[in-house]
Formats: sequence, C-alpha cells, structure tokens
Amino acid sequence: MKPFLKQSFQEELIITENLGKRVSTHEGDLDILSGIQLKLGAGDSLAIVGESGSGKSTLLGLLAGLDLPTQGRVLIAGQDLSRMNEDQRAELRNLWVGFVFQSFQLLPALTALENVMLPLELRADRHAQEKASHLLERVGLAHRLQHQARQLSGGEQQRVALARAFVTQPAILFADEPTGNLDSKTGARITELLFELNQEQATTLILVTHDARLAGLCQRQLQLEAGRQI
Amino acid sequence: MNNLRLAWILLRRDIKNGELSLLLLALIIAVTASATIGLFADRLQRTMTAQAGQFLAGDLALSGSQLLPETIPQYANTLGLQQAQTAEFSTMLMEKQQMLLVAAKAVSSHYPLRGQLKIQRDNQEQISEQGPLVGEAWVDGRVLNALQIQLGDKIQLGEHWLTVSAQLNYEPDKAGDFYAFLPRVMFNWQDLAATEVIQPGSRVSYAYQFNGSEAVIKQFRELVQHQLPPGQKILDIYQDRPELGTAFRRAERYLGLSSVLVMVLAGVAIAMAAQRYSERHYDAVALLRCLGCRQDRVMMLFALQILMLGGLSCLLGCAFGWLGHNYLLYLLAALMANPLSEPSLSALVIAWASGMLLLLGFALPPLLRLRQVSAVRVLRRDWLPTPISVYLVYGLALGILTVLVAQYSRDHLMTLQLLAGIVVAYGLLSFLIALILKAMQAGIQYLGLSTRLAFKSLLQQQQLTLAQILAFTLTLSAMLLSYSVRNDLILNWQQQLPENTPNYFVINVLPDSKQAFADSLQQAGIQTNTFYPVVRGRLLTINQQTVTQRVSKESQGEAATQRELSLTTVPNLPEDNRIVAGEAWPPDTSGLVSVEQKLADNLGIKVGDVLGFSIGGAQLEVRVSSLRSLQWDTLKPNFYMIFSPGTIEQFPTTWMTSFYLPLAQKQLLNSWHSQFPALSLLDVGQWVEQIKGLLRQLTAAIDYLLCFALVAGVCVLLTSIAASLDQRLYQGALLRTLGASRALLLRIQNLEFALLGGVSGLLAVGIAELVRFIVYQKLLQLDFGLIWQYWLVLPSLATLIVVLAARWGLRPVLKYSPLRVFRQG
Repeated sequence: MKPFLKQSFQEELIITENLGKRVSTHEGDLDILSGIQLKLGAGDSLAIVGESGSGKSTLLGLLAGLDLPTQGRVLIAGQDLSRMNEDQRAELRNLWVGFVFQSFQLLPALTALENVMLPLELRADRHAQEKASHLLERVGLAHRLQHQARQLSGGEQQRVALARAFVTQPAILFADEPTGNLDSKTGARITELLFELNQEQATTLILVTHDARLAGLCQRQLQLEAGRQI
Repeated sequence: MNNLRLAWILLRRDIKNGELSLLLLALIIAVTASATIGLFADRLQRTMTAQAGQFLAGDLALSGSQLLPETIPQYANTLGLQQAQTAEFSTMLMEKQQMLLVAAKAVSSHYPLRGQLKIQRDNQEQISEQGPLVGEAWVDGRVLNALQIQLGDKIQLGEHWLTVSAQLNYEPDKAGDFYAFLPRVMFNWQDLAATEVIQPGSRVSYAYQFNGSEAVIKQFRELVQHQLPPGQKILDIYQDRPELGTAFRRAERYLGLSSVLVMVLAGVAIAMAAQRYSERHYDAVALLRCLGCRQDRVMMLFALQILMLGGLSCLLGCAFGWLGHNYLLYLLAALMANPLSEPSLSALVIAWASGMLLLLGFALPPLLRLRQVSAVRVLRRDWLPTPISVYLVYGLALGILTVLVAQYSRDHLMTLQLLAGIVVAYGLLSFLIALILKAMQAGIQYLGLSTRLAFKSLLQQQQLTLAQILAFTLTLSAMLLSYSVRNDLILNWQQQLPENTPNYFVINVLPDSKQAFADSLQQAGIQTNTFYPVVRGRLLTINQQTVTQRVSKESQGEAATQRELSLTTVPNLPEDNRIVAGEAWPPDTSGLVSVEQKLADNLGIKVGDVLGFSIGGAQLEVRVSSLRSLQWDTLKPNFYMIFSPGTIEQFPTTWMTSFYLPLAQKQLLNSWHSQFPALSLLDVGQWVEQIKGLLRQLTAAIDYLLCFALVAGVCVLLTSIAASLDQRLYQGALLRTLGASRALLLRIQNLEFALLGGVSGLLAVGIAELVRFIVYQKLLQLDFGLIWQYWLVLPSLATLIVVLAARWGLRPVLKYSPLRVFRQG
C-alpha cells in the first residue's frame, strides 16, 4: 500500500485548483502561470504544449512537487503538496513519480545499471538490482549494464533514463521534451518505448513537448499561452 | 588600450561575483609568506655582513690557548695592519672578605678594532672606543652586586689592585662559551703581568685581532693559516660564533624552505581555482568567438586579467609581508643583534616576482585551454576543449619549484636533493593513494547507498581527489612534524629529567682539595655524581695520520680536533655509557681508550685504531678498545675519550663532578669559593633556562610560519571543494528529484569528506613519523619512539576539519532547488 493514499485515485489522481506562480523581478511581479485548472485520472496521458516561455516547464515543476505555487494548489492522490515540506515531497516523488528529462540527467559516475537502481535504493528495495536489470533488458540495453553514462550514445542514455523512470512503477510519469536532444529516428524509438511502458504499467503520463506528433499521441492536450490555459 | 580596458572590466566583474576569491587568497598567502621570510632573512644577512667584524672585534681574529709566536704580529706590522690582543681567564676576585669567581679579560690599547664597548657611569650608558686605562677595571653588574662594591672602589685581581671605574654593559666579541657564564671583569693589558695570575699551565684564551683593507687581510690570512701552531686557529663568524653564524644560516635556510612549502600549497590552490575559473568561462569564450573575437585576442584578454590580478595581489601580499616580518622579529628578539640592518627593496621584489611566477606557472595550463574553445560550444554545450598536455602541466610546476627552492636554499646539492625528495614523495604518495582508491573500487559493491555514492564521487574525479589528499597530507605532516620535534626537544627533555638533576658542574678541583670538597658536600647533604679525574689533551693523529686530513667541515669531529679535550680515566665505564663496538678493557690493562660513538663516526675511528695525543707537551699513543654511546641530556659529566686505568695518571690532573644544589643552600657557593679558591662552579641550571627560553622563541617562530602553511592548506581545501561545487549542485538536485532526502545528501557528503580527511590524516602521520625517524637518527641523535596517539588524533582531527569545511563550503547543495534540473535542459 502506497502511503498518502487518502481516497480512491481511479478518477482524480492529480488535481490543480486555480494554480499559479508569480515571481518578483526588477520590473515588478510577473505571473509565469495563473489560473490553471486540471484533473487527471489514473492512466490518463496529457501533453502540455505551448511556445517557449509559455510556462510549460514551470507547470511541470509545480505538478511534480519540485516547486511550490504562489496561488492555488496541487493535489496528488488527495494530498495537498503545499502542506508538505521538501523532504515529504521528495518521499512522495520517490514513491509515486517518475521523470524523463530532455538531457537525460544521468549521474555520470554511475553505470547504467546503477543509475536505474538508484530510485529503488532510495526506498531500500532489496531487489533493486534484479528489477533494474530486467528493465534495462526491456529497453534493449542488456549488453550495456556496466557501462558508465558517458560511454553511451544519446539514444542509449535516454533509454536508461526511461528504465530509471519506470523501474519504480510510478503512478505518474513526467516527461520534459524527452526527444528534444535526439535525432528523429532515435526519438521515434524512444517515443515508442515511452508509450509502451506507460501502457504496460498504466501510468498517468504528463508530457511537455513542442513535437506536435508526440503531443498527438496523448489523450489530452493542455495549451499554454503566456502562462494561461487556452 | 581597448583590450586593457575590457580586461579590467571583466576582471572587476569576476572579482565582484566572487569568481576569483580563492585564487586571490591563495596568491596573497603565498606572497605574504615569501615576503615575511624574505624580509626577515634579508635583514639577518645584512646585519651579519655589516656587523661580522664587530662580533670578532676585528676584520680577522686568531685565538688559541697559547701566545702567538712573535713572527705573526711582526708580519702583521710589516703589512701595516692594526693590531689588538686580549687574554681571557677565570680567576678569583677578593674584596671585603668576599670572593667571587669571575671571567677576567685583559685588553690591549687598540681594543676593540671593530665594534664598541658600552659602559655605565653615573647611571648613564656611554659608548667607548677603547678599553680601561692602566690601573682601572670595568666590571659587570653581577660583580658590583656580589661584592657589594661601587665605582671608585678597589678590587684585588691576583696580586694587583685595580680601581673600578665603570660598569661594563656590552663587549662586541663576548662569545657564548664557558667564560660567558661568569661575571665579567675587563682591565688593561699592561696590568696583566702585575696580577701574576697567569702561570705555566694556566688555562687562558688568547685572541689577536687585526684590521686592514680586504686585500691585505686576505694576504695575511693566506700566510698565517699554514703557520699557526697547534691550538691556534683563525676565528670565523660562522664557526666560532655559532649562536650567530651557523645557527643563523641554518635558520635562514629553514625559513626559506618553509616559504617554499607554503608556495607549493598555494600553487596547488591556484591551479584548482584557475581550473574552475577556466571551466566557468568556456561559454563566455565560445560566445566571444561566435561574435567574431579572434583566438589571440581572447588569450590577450585573459592574460591581461591574470597579470593585473597577479600584480595587485602580489603587491598586497608584500604589504602584509612587511607587517608579518616585524612580528617575526619580535618573536625572535633574543636572537637578534642590535641594531638590525634596514631591509632592502630586493626582498620585496623577489617576493613579488615569486608570486607572479607561481601564478603563471600554476594558472597557465588551465587558462591555455580557453584558447581552444570553439564557437560550436554555443550550440553544443557538451563540447570541451582538449586537455592540456600532462607534461606541460607537471613540467611547469616542477620548473617553478626548482627556481623557488634554488633561490631559498642557495645550495645546488640541497636543491637537487629536495626536488628529488619531492618527486619521490609525490610518486610514492600518488601510488599509495591510487592503491587506496583501487581498494575502494573493489569493495564498493558491498557498501550501502550513501557510502557507495560517496566513494563514487571520489573515484569519479581521481585527479582532483589525488590533489586534495596530497595537499592535505603535506600540510598536516609538516605541522605534525614541527609539533612532535618541538615536544621531543623541549618538553620531553625537561619532563624526563629526574627531580634532582644536577644544576651545577664543578671543575678544577685540585687533587689536594678533592677529599675536603667531597666531605663538605656530604656534610651539606648534597649527593654528588662520580668525581672524574681530568687531564687536558689534544688529539693529533689516528693511525699516524693527522686528524685534520680526516674531518669534514662543520662536523662534530672538526670541532673536537680544533681544541683540547677533557680526558679522563675510570676503572669501569659510567652506567649510562653503552658499548656499541669492541669490549670493555680487562682489569689492569693500560694503554687503551674508549671513544664516543658519534665522534668516532665523524673521524672514521674504529676499534683497534691507534690514537695519538699531545698532553702537556708529551706524546701519548693508545689503542681504541671500544666505542660508546652516551646520554648527553642527563647533565652528568660526559667524555669523548675515556682511558683505561694506568694510562694518563702520570699527567697533572684536576677533578670534576656535578651535583644538584637546592636554592635554599645557595649560600654554600660563597663558602666553597673561600675554602677552595681554585675550583670553578658552573651554574648549568641557568644555562638550561637560557636554552629553554631560546628554544621556546624558536618554536614560537616556527609555529608562526606554520600558520602560513595551515592557511595555505585551508585554501587548498576550500578551493578543491569549490572546484567540485557545480557538479555537486547538479548531483544533489537530481537525487532530490528522484526522492532523496536532505539527510541522505548530507550523509553522502559527510562520508565523502570524512574519507578524504581520514586518509590524508593517516598518510600524514605515516610521513611525519618516517621523517621524524630519519631526522632523529641522522641529525639530532635522539631516541625515536612511535607515538600511537598521533595515529588516533590526527586522522580524527583531519576528518573533523575537512567535514566541517565541506559543510560550510557546500551549503548551496542542500538549498539548490531540484527545479533547476529542468531548467538546465
């Protein structure tokens, strides 16, 4: 049983209520995001789209609990993230959330296997190595387990990142431009893997992308313009 | 001009952003240390050169236990040299039923040829260019107090009466020898014969001073050095005023090398800081290149910044060094001559230049990489310039070190030895550290997450880890070595002396007074050590070869062959003398001698050798039956040569012993002087206090200089932490994104730096103990004992310091928002 589960999340795993983010600048306050209303159920997939500077990454950060809103709130499985301290949010991320980044974000000192094991080790999972090996095999990297990140190509690194994201069987997966640093062929393969794994684990997928084709693969799209939902 | 202005703008911006703080600090520390020591050594050297003649009271001085043959003064006359002479001996002064053992010095009319005397009359100190007039005597304050006399009173010296006309405060050529302990009386040479004190066999130290031009002095020296009879020598400030000469030269060398240590550490810090500075400017340089800036202009901009930075910080270091050297002078005030020469600008220029050299040598390789940064980096941030050749990096560093060490040691052999030592030590340490890292790698899979991540972090940047451990180890071992040597020399020596360690030596006990004196001591309840018979003699030959052909300069052996030795005979060797070669002599076997081990090593004497002595004009040959080790720090009589019974009994003998005299019984000294006028009592307790005071001052100075090393070591620590900050910020943010708590991040960080500190501490103890072992065995002749506490305390202390420094330096890692991981893209 995952902690913080207060109510059934079959319908509303993620809820945002009038979510907004305001920052102070030299020229005064700036609303990066405002009035975001969102509800996502388990297994849903959402593409957040918009031009550069529209607030996509900021919204992703707020939804993942990496940042706190200045207005409104985010509820994950009924838990208000604003009421949690940083360590509680970290624990929540470890248990519920997976991440895939544009620039892979692997730890260079660790091997592919160790990078994938990391989230499991953070929760003291005794079968970390076994699970990680299995997932790396799943993404076609069984022959690269002991290679360090810098020894892998871009596509291979992103596959390791995918394995790391899914190894904990997260309830929610956040992906920020997952194919942004890849060529189209490799990007297509990664996209395919991403959605395969997502379907296998019935994960709720939230994707930030400029790629219209990738956005089209999601069930829903949320368009942002100047921080507002349109 | 445009380049200069732009470089200045960029430099100011970087300084304001804190990009160059650690590099600045490291450079200022290095130059401050160099300037402090350079100025101090410069003033020392200039004082020595300017006042050398004063310390000898002439441009050239000869001394010995006999009068010079007439030919030598006559030759000096023909060369037109000015001459003066002195005769120094111990004797009894008598006044108002009081007797006092004094050091009496008869001086001729031109004395002193160099330097000045300081006397006091009517509570006013005056300078005098010559000694007392005929019929007069100058006495020091101790004589006035002990005999309760005033200026104008008469004193009897031997058979002659003299009028005390002044208090003697200072004489330029007062040596640090036996006579220096006694109260002083100075009188005119023409009164010497009338005192009738000097008789055949009297122990007198004669000195002859000569003044003239450099060329004539040189000519005179070349002639006389081959004509001097045995027992006579030419005085040299470095040999015969060791408290001034050799000691200062060694101190100067030690200080100079301390400065090199600080500069090496600062160099490491500069290299690390420059590396980070360079990496953080790749993007800026790529952009400049993208905007059309040529490669050579990019280099010019950075070169100008470095030169400006270096120039200003070296100036600041020189200013701090000026202040610093004054404090060093204050710490070593007792060793300093008065007045001290003014410092020259050259010391500051050298310090400034050393700093610039250091900066260029250690900062240049990382900065050269900027030259290679391509504009493509604006599109591909993973693009990196190719690393600079390792040969260039190490070659430059070694080159700079060579220049610095050569400059301060002023000795090619020592420079080579030191550099070889540094290279070997670096190689050995690197090998050991690599072994440790390999062992870590092998065992890493068995460790928990936080320990594994800590190890991985160290292993990921092995060069950086190696540099950190080397720098910490060097700093810690230098400080531990200084601390342990200081403790062993002063504290243990004093603490280990038993409570009633002798504080008085008595010599010149005549044979017919010996029993009465021993009885007197016994009646007073004073326990004495053995009474030793003493005969004065000089070692002339070893296996028919003259000893001067076997000694090396400045060795203990040379000193022992330049003067008469105190020779003794005993049926059995003293308890604390240990035979290390040969055997104890059989009973009733004369013609044998046992030699002190270190002297034997210096002179190449072995068991079975035949030694030739001159004793009272007669020749004596004896065979070496054994070599012995002694304990010099027990303050009991010790002898280089001990003869078997029946060997030297035919020569005139006096007796000596040592004992502990409590303060409450000090009045016995006066009654002994009255009862036994010939004997000489030496207050070694006072001498021990003087030496302790001197050692305390020296160690204070050493500690002061080591503070520079400590600060430089801290610089290295902070710089190495800062060098990895960007990578740690990223790693910390990523781990937090994946769900790691702050506590876990802190644990990883603490483990990593605890390992760094612990390994450095252990290696430092190993090196310090190894060096201490070598120093004690080869140089100081002290017993070496392993100190287990060091192995516990230093690694623990080092771990604590490094962990705390990392906690402070890496505060941002725990505060860095994971959101930035997204924004880095």
